[in-house]
Amino acid sequence: MNTLHLLSHSPFTDSRLSSCLRLLSIHDGILLSGDAVYALQAGTAQRQALELMPDGIALFALEEDLLARAIGDVPARVRCLDYPAFVELTLRYAKVNSWL
Amino acid sequence: MAKSLLLISRQAPWSGPGAREALDIALAGGAFDLPLAMLFLDDGVLQLTQAQQPAQLQQKDLTANLQALPMFGVEALYACNRSLFERGVDSGALNLPVELLDEHGLSALLQRYDLVITL
Repeated sequence: MNTLHLLSHSPFTDSRLSSCLRLLSIHDGILLSGDAVYALQAGTAQRQALELMPDGIALFALEEDLLARAIGDVPARVRCLDYPAFVELTLRYAKVNSWL
Repeated sequence: MAKSLLLISRQAPWSGPGAREALDIALAGGAFDLPLAMLFLDDGVLQLTQAQQPAQLQQKDLTANLQALPMFGVEALYACNRSLFERGVDSGALNLPVELLDEHGLSALLQRYDLVITL
């Protein structure tokens, strides 16, 4: 029963991202949208934590949120999505957990 | 003599109205010649990065309004060095000329102003 975790808040102002990383299972996925894409900013502890996740954990980010925030040069393991792909992705996981 | 005002902007640019509202206060205050300064703190420093594309989110550009601050007489612009560092933002490539402050500089700044508003 794999879970897709949806994060949309800034990783610098609260502990959603770090809590999510603590309770992930090996074949879960993380989708970053909104201010959560700031976690991919180069040179941050948050990006390093995401890069060090086990390979089995898929990492996704909404492309329009990356572009709006001028975050380029994302790690190779990140798959960039648009909204239709986001919807499709949610259907591929048994559960979706939104970190509201 | 009008009271001096320090505006602390701590919201990221595209997650809600906070960043724009702080900027609107600064521009309005500047237009009325109030002695006013603006400090970018925490996620507020993310407003200062270059090459943002808010049109991707159907939002209006904030950078042009930020760059209007000096024209409205708001020239006392500061950013928290630690906030920039934690977020991986290059302090040498910002869209606005700001003075960088360490913790000591921040508390000294707050003491210099009569009023403080944090958004």
